[in-house]
Amino acid sequence: MSPEATGVAGIVALLALFLLRVPIAFAMMMVGFGGFAALSGTAPALALLPQDLFDTFTSYPLSVIPMFILMGAFAFASGISERLFAAAYAWVGGLRGGLTIATVLACAGFAAICGSTAATAATMGKIALPEMKRYGYDDTLATGAVAAAGTLGILIPPSTVFIVYAILTEESIGKLFIAGIVPGILLTLLFIATVALLCAAKPQLGPPGPATSLAAKLKATRGIVEALLLFVLAIGGLMLGWFSPTQAGAIGAGGALAIGLARRKLSWKSFVQAGREGLATSCMVMFIIAGAIVFGHFMAVSKIPFTLADWVGELPPHRMAIMGVIIVIYFLGGFFMDSMALIVVTLPIFYPVVRKLGFDPIWFGVMIVLLCEMGVITPPVGVNVFVIKGIAPDVPLYRIFRGIFPFLGAIVLLTVTILFVPGIATFLPGLVK
Amino acid sequence: MPGKFERLNAAVCGGAEALGVAAAVFMIALTCADVLGAKLFRSPVPGSLDMMMLAQLVAVTFAAAGALLQRRHIAVDFFAERLPRRARAVLNGAVSLACLALFAVVAWRLLAHGVELQKSREVTATAAIPLAPFAYAAALAMVPMCLVLAQHLLGSLAEARRDEP
Repeated sequence: MSPEATGVAGIVALLALFLLRVPIAFAMMMVGFGGFAALSGTAPALALLPQDLFDTFTSYPLSVIPMFILMGAFAFASGISERLFAAAYAWVGGLRGGLTIATVLACAGFAAICGSTAATAATMGKIALPEMKRYGYDDTLATGAVAAAGTLGILIPPSTVFIVYAILTEESIGKLFIAGIVPGILLTLLFIATVALLCAAKPQLGPPGPATSLAAKLKATRGIVEALLLFVLAIGGLMLGWFSPTQAGAIGAGGALAIGLARRKLSWKSFVQAGREGLATSCMVMFIIAGAIVFGHFMAVSKIPFTLADWVGELPPHRMAIMGVIIVIYFLGGFFMDSMALIVVTLPIFYPVVRKLGFDPIWFGVMIVLLCEMGVITPPVGVNVFVIKGIAPDVPLYRIFRGIFPFLGAIVLLTVTILFVPGIATFLPGLVK
Repeated sequence: MPGKFERLNAAVCGGAEALGVAAAVFMIALTCADVLGAKLFRSPVPGSLDMMMLAQLVAVTFAAAGALLQRRHIAVDFFAERLPRRARAVLNGAVSLACLALFAVVAWRLLAHGVELQKSREVTATAAIPLAPFAYAAALAMVPMCLVLAQHLLGSLAEARRDEP
C-alpha cells in the first residue's frame, strides 16, 4: 500500500473510532501510532509515542493553555462573573429584553478573562437563567441566548481555540488574540440586535425589569473594574509585549486568585474546586494536542497534507470556491464533532492548502473560530447546549436549539461578512509588528 | 453503591489529581514570581522555564485519570447513543479495552523512555534538572489511567450481562 493510501485508510479508521465513541485524543493516538508503525516500522513507532507525549506535556509554549484556562476558572471562583452580570443588568435590565442583553454583555465581559465557550456559557447560565426565569422571560430566548453568547468565550481574547490554532500553525498568539477583538465586539452587537429585534416583534419574550437609579448603576459599574483590570493586565500586557503568552495567562490566573482573596470570595473549597475544574479541562485539551501530534506525524509520513495541497493548488476553481468548500466542511463537521477536536484533526490537512491558496493565516484563524462557534451550538453535538441543559433541566433540548437559531444567524452573518471583508479581522493585527 | 475497586480508584485518582493541582498552582506562582522578579528587580527566577515544563508534565499526567473518571475526555456520542442498551455496553467495553491497551503501552514506553534518559543522563537546558525521574513519574501517572479504564471495562461487562428490567 502506498503511503498516501495508508494515510487515507488511517483517516477512515480515525472517523470510525470517533463514531465508536473512542475519546478523540485516544483515537488519534491509536491511529497515529498504528499508521506510523505501518509506514515506518514498529520500533520507530514505539519510540515516537512516548517521545511525542513527553515533549507535548513538557512544552513551554503549550503551558499557555493551562494558564489561561485556570485564569477563567479562578475568575469564576472569585465571583467576577456575578459582578459583571450585576453591572450589565443595572444598565440595561430595565429595557425590553434587557436581562438577555445584560447576559450577552456579561458573557462578552467574561469572555475577556476566560477562553472557553462552555465555561462562559456555564458561568453566565448559572447566574442569568434563574434571573430571567424570575422575571418571566421566555425560556427559549433565555437558554438560546446564553448558549450562543457563551461562544464569545473563544472569539474575544483570551481564547483556547486561538491558542491551539496558533500552536498548530506556528502563528502568533498575540496577533490572533488581537484579530478576535473587532469580530468579538461586532458579534456582541449583533447578538444584542438579535435580542432587541426578537423582543420588539414579541414583547412577551422579554418583559422589561425594574428601572435602576443612576447611583445604583454607577455603584454596580464598579464591579467590572477588576475584570477590566485583569483583561488590561493579561491581554494588554501580552499585546504590548510585556509578557509572553504563558506569562500573561499566569499573571491573569494569579490576579484572579488575588481578587478572590481580597474580596474574601475564595474559600479553600472553591479554590480547590476551581483548580480541579481548570486542570481537568486543561488536561483534556493537552491530551487532544498530544494525540494530534502523534496523528500529525503519521500524516506527515503518509505525505497526504502535501499531496492534497499540491493537488488543490492545481485545481481550476477559484480559490474562494475552494475556501467555500473548506468552510462547508468545518460547518458540517461542527454538527458531529467537538470544535477543538475538529480543528486539531483537520488543520494539519487544510492549513497547507489554505497557505498554498494565499489566504491570510490570521484571517483563517478568525474564520475557524467563528465556525467553531457555530459548531458548539448546533445539533446534535452542541456542547454549549448540553451545558445549558444541565443548568436548566426543565427546558426541553429542542426548545434550547430553537432559541439558538436567531443567534446562529448572527454568527453566519458575521462569518460571511468577514469572508468578503477580511480587513475586519486583519486590520488590528496588521498594526502590530 | 460503589464497590471496593471504585472506591480505590476514586482515592487514587483524587490523590493524583491533588498532586496535579499543586503542580498547576506552582506553575502560576513560579511564573508570577519570575515576571515580577524580572520586571521589578531585574532578577528572574533561575531555571523557571525548566521548572515550568516539568511542573506541567506532572500537572497534566497526574490529572489525567481524574479527568477520565469524570468523563471529561471528549468523545462523539451521537451514534453510540442510538444503539440498544446491551450493544452500547459491549461497544463501551471494547472501547475501554482498546484504551486500556493503549495506555498500558504508553506506560511501558514512558518507562523505557525514562531508562533511556537515565542512561544518557539527560538534563534540562538551564537548570540541569535530570529528566528521567519525570519520565518515570509520567509512566506512574498512567497506572491510575489504566485502573480507571479497567473500571469502565468491568462496568460495561456488568451492564452487558444485566438482564432487562
